[in-house]
Amino acid sequence: MDKRTLLVAEGIDKRFGITHAVNNVSLEIAAGEIRGLIGENGSGKSTFCQMLCGIYSIGEGTFTLDGEKLHIRNQVDANNAGISIIVQEMGTLSGLTVAENIYLGHEEPFMHMGVKDTRAMNREAQQILDSYGFGRIKAGTMIDHYNFEDRKLVEIVKATYMKPKILVIDETTTALSQNGRLELYKIMDAIRADGRTVIFISHDLGEVLAHTDTVSVLRDGEFIGTVNSSEVTEDDLKRLMVGREIGTAYYRTDYGQPITGEAVLSVEDVTVPGELNDISFVLHKGEILGFGGLSECGMHEVGKAIFGASWDREGKVKLADGTEINDIPTAISHSIAYASKDRDNESIILNESIRNNIVLPSLNDLASHGLLNGRKLNRFADEQAKNMQTKMQNVGQFVSDLSGGNKQKVVLARWLGKGSDILVLDSPTRGIDVKVKQAIYALMAELREQGKAIIMISEEIPELLGMADRIFIMKDGRINGEFTRSPELGEEDLIAKMV
Amino acid sequence: MEKKNNKSPEQSRLRSFLTGDKLKAALPLIGFVIIIVVMHIMTNGKILTPKKLRLLFSQIYYPTIVATGVFFIMTLGSIDFTEGSTLGVASIVVSVLSFYSIPLAIAGGILTGAAIGAINGFFHVKFRLPSFIVTICTMYLFRGVCAYFTTETAVPASNAIKSLDQDWLKITITLAVLAVAFFLFKFTRIGNDVKAVGSGETAARFSGVRTGRVKFLAFVAAGALTGLAAFVNVIKVGSITSTAGNQLETQILISLVLGGLPITGGAKVRFSNIIIGTLMYAILNSGLSILGYEPQVQQLIKGIVFLIFVALTIDRKALKVIK
Repeated sequence: MDKRTLLVAEGIDKRFGITHAVNNVSLEIAAGEIRGLIGENGSGKSTFCQMLCGIYSIGEGTFTLDGEKLHIRNQVDANNAGISIIVQEMGTLSGLTVAENIYLGHEEPFMHMGVKDTRAMNREAQQILDSYGFGRIKAGTMIDHYNFEDRKLVEIVKATYMKPKILVIDETTTALSQNGRLELYKIMDAIRADGRTVIFISHDLGEVLAHTDTVSVLRDGEFIGTVNSSEVTEDDLKRLMVGREIGTAYYRTDYGQPITGEAVLSVEDVTVPGELNDISFVLHKGEILGFGGLSECGMHEVGKAIFGASWDREGKVKLADGTEINDIPTAISHSIAYASKDRDNESIILNESIRNNIVLPSLNDLASHGLLNGRKLNRFADEQAKNMQTKMQNVGQFVSDLSGGNKQKVVLARWLGKGSDILVLDSPTRGIDVKVKQAIYALMAELREQGKAIIMISEEIPELLGMADRIFIMKDGRINGEFTRSPELGEEDLIAKMV
Repeated sequence: MEKKNNKSPEQSRLRSFLTGDKLKAALPLIGFVIIIVVMHIMTNGKILTPKKLRLLFSQIYYPTIVATGVFFIMTLGSIDFTEGSTLGVASIVVSVLSFYSIPLAIAGGILTGAAIGAINGFFHVKFRLPSFIVTICTMYLFRGVCAYFTTETAVPASNAIKSLDQDWLKITITLAVLAVAFFLFKFTRIGNDVKAVGSGETAARFSGVRTGRVKFLAFVAAGALTGLAAFVNVIKVGSITSTAGNQLETQILISLVLGGLPITGGAKVRFSNIIIGTLMYAILNSGLSILGYEPQVQQLIKGIVFLIFVALTIDRKALKVIK
């Protein structure tokens, strides 16, 4: 490739306490290139990019952009140098209009003697939105008026309208539906065509291979190498990321096993205003029941409704013995577990120890005559965390220190410790690397063999096809299609029912 | 590269110590020692004489009882500004009932406090109002009630109740409250539940904690303890004026924060925060009196000490709006 080199990273290094997050990484990226950056959770890819974008200070080493050494102290410096980033989390501010969000920190052109010319700002913002083909988003409207995906699109506009030399996309696609992803890919291609550069971080290796020119791999903070996307397979990338051969068993490989006739949970005419519309189904023992659809289709609310966590629910959720589930404590004491899509807010308490997170749902079982024994709690938590092979110093460590994959292990550890028979797993592998993903799939298959019933809500179609015995596809709060596990079933069959 | 690293290793090490968790955890104890030493030097040793110590202890019984209740509320990440007015109203009830029977007076005080706590908890939980808004409103309300009954004359208490003003009784009540609260906090799921709500209310709810009930009961318990403290207050002061319990809420807040209680509540609270905090406040208070400062100046100094402490100890990672 004889393209002009745009970015040179030399000896980039960063430590957080004892953790060597990025270890002496040097690499070059050309102008007009889409570079994938992959690695397991904690491999340092996000830290590396966040140093480039001024979110973290650079430990050691230098970045050179277009032959000029960069001195980046914060995000504004990075923006001015021509580097912007789209992050995984919500990056828009509520209470501001779309235009105010787009121009946040760059309002000067619209300021006249300290007074903001709102009309000019809205007009220009609308022109930009129209040029992206997002004309349905109105610049003068409050950002809160739009859903998660549209806000993400606004963020993409915000990060790209100034035509940065380098755009970093950090795990953004997991928050987007198929449509939103297509929009993002288009923008990436446009940037490449313009001779500028994209750094694309994703755990979805298929997506990485399909939309990048080259892929760089990090492992444990070290730079492993860069490969041409057209010359490698997903398995090659997995091998590079993990540093060893990954077994072929990723999803389940069995087909044609009949579902037991033994119902464990029935959902009858459940409606949640604005979310679910008259949903009914039956969950069987030893079954993985998948729910799929676009992100606003209501499938995430199904999990909450079963767990008794919906604020305003009509209809019945009943166990086989007739017990009705209407609140969370009843759900938990009747062996229902729930892992939320919003892991950091709903599944675990970040500012708490691993120990207290694991024991919390089981406190009533662990108490004898209402009394808790600290040593017993420690032993319980330690055992469950180790069963899940959670990477930790000890169970006293705070969950906020853990990587996404390890947090999810803590979530699963608490419910396995509780011995729940019905597991509602919403986006169980969201933002999780290959190795932990594989472990979670294996665990799900094992739990299924043990006769537990699993509801898996997922935005990843391959995951639904690979793991579920039955798949419900939802649309506008209703079940729009039902499929039975089969090797013939393809992605397009499911997508047809989503849109 | 050298240019970029404009901080020397020593500086950054010092910085990481100053902002680190270890220092934050040790600060209350360090502050405790500093305050004792400073007060000891400034008062030429007068503060540590047996007589002064006895006086000092006589001042901390009822604040300790009140602080124990508020400790649970602040662990939830909530806040309560009604202790002073609750103490005032409950003290009036105790005084009036003391003419009939002492047990009745105690029960009346506790029930009055619990009822006010229930009002706070009800509005906080059912209407989802932030606790500082609710309790500022009810603080004014019950301050008004207290003033209404005490404007003409002070409300007297019976001689029978005044004759109970003995150290052993007050010590016993205070220690019993601390012991029971410690037991509940440490060895039952109450402690886990309040900490879980303080660290992450949504996740606690999804883990099966009945968050509404926990919060309501914490306010009721704190009210009840303030009611019990009113009894201890009445046997000491004998009659209730409109200033009863004035500014008690700020005293308790300052004490607990001085004791190291994170203002955000949650996992990092320690039961010892109550004891260290109330002692520190009492020593600071009595030292400033011995030094002969005007009450206004005392207030100013306490404000400054409080501000410095909060700035040093607050956990910015967990910082949200106080519930």
